[in-house]
Amino acid sequence: MRSTTSGPDNVSRFNRPGRVSRLALAALLALALCACGPTTVNVQGRFPRPLMDPLPLKIGVWYPQEFRTHEFHDETTSREQSAWIVETGPAQVEMWDTVLAGMFRDLVYMDGPPGPQQMNPVVNAVLIPHVDELQYAIPTQTKVKVYEIWMRYRFELVTTGGELIAEWTMPAYGKTPTAFLQSDQAAVNLAAVVALRDAGANFITSFAQLPAVRAFLEPAVVMSSPAASADKEDRS
Amino acid sequence: MSARLPLVIAALALLQGCVTARVDELVYNEPEAGVGNASVVILGRRHAADYETEPDFIECLGDYITDRDPGVRVIGELDFINALYPWFEPRTAPLHPQDIDRLLQQQVVAQRMRELNTGYMIWIDGNTVSSDAGGSMACAVGPGIGGCFGFGTWSNDAEYEATIWDLTGQSEVGRVNTTATGQSYMPAVIVPIPIIAPVQGTACDSLGAQLLQFLSGNY
Repeated sequence: MRSTTSGPDNVSRFNRPGRVSRLALAALLALALCACGPTTVNVQGRFPRPLMDPLPLKIGVWYPQEFRTHEFHDETTSREQSAWIVETGPAQVEMWDTVLAGMFRDLVYMDGPPGPQQMNPVVNAVLIPHVDELQYAIPTQTKVKVYEIWMRYRFELVTTGGELIAEWTMPAYGKTPTAFLQSDQAAVNLAAVVALRDAGANFITSFAQLPAVRAFLEPAVVMSSPAASADKEDRS
Repeated sequence: MSARLPLVIAALALLQGCVTARVDELVYNEPEAGVGNASVVILGRRHAADYETEPDFIECLGDYITDRDPGVRVIGELDFINALYPWFEPRTAPLHPQDIDRLLQQQVVAQRMRELNTGYMIWIDGNTVSSDAGGSMACAVGPGIGGCFGFGTWSNDAEYEATIWDLTGQSEVGRVNTTATGQSYMPAVIVPIPIIAPVQGTACDSLGAQLLQFLSGNY
């Protein structure tokens, strides 16, 4: 960078004492303004593939825009005034991609929201996840030395034409104890990762137990079972 | 410098609060020659609403055992629960040894358990809490000077219970309970000097020593 010189004493404009102090003041002001902003946590974690026999279904998944970019801030304030912003969208997508890929025989991403006018790949059903609610608690709020994240999901299982097969809600919860030398952000991130893992565990263990899902699954499971295949061979 | 080192170490040793620990052990079926080739996993209970067993305490126990007998293979807690996701999450973890049988009915789970060759599963339930905080301290900072004055004290209480499951027989074979209590102090004359009672570390050593006796043929 070339400095410009001017003035009677030929002192660099950037070296003038007044200029330096103004720059320092501006830097301090910027720092102070930064300090007043919300604490942002971009949730990041690694999620293991579930250890299970995959269900014999070709499942489609459609992540709505608000799910993919999901973030949470205090409901009582605006986004800018909130003390905390917890961005969970990318981690949500990563976790559900991993869980669904291990849970079903085939996982297919939809090109658009399922509906009669939408061209989409042919699948047995399409799962659409939503985060209806997210709450967090940190020790400064609760006086309990635990960081907590609570989420309520809503799932829609629909046909590619958009007809509803099942709709249900599911809670997920994650907490982590305070740890020495662990920042609030790191602890909230860890609690969110625990909550996401819990969401995956809850979904895996409860999905096939839902009456509407079970009624939908039974023909597909029966048709793909070894007994059904043998029966089919006998008949042919 | 070298002459000062022992003095510094001695001073640091004196700056530890006192800790009282107690261990109760109840073992039904201890392996006579240790666990042999089988591996061991130590897991923390995390299903209670108001507390959870600290992951670093579980790590401390694993380190205690493997440092003293490298022949005992302890699988890392996170490695184990990741390898068997989602069957050992707080929501899904088995609460009784008989529940393992239900898990092993899934072929993929049974296969993974065979690969890990886990002979014993040790569940740790408990935590360390601070209580009875007292005293007061005031700190001030001025141009070119700053400092604190006062005295603070608090109590740390640790209570942990280890439950040992034999995965071959799918039964509980032992239970070890440890409690440790200590008082920590922080006097401050310009500079606060923390005198911390190593309560959690003492609980780890007490419980680790008992588990080592159970798992190792050399102790």
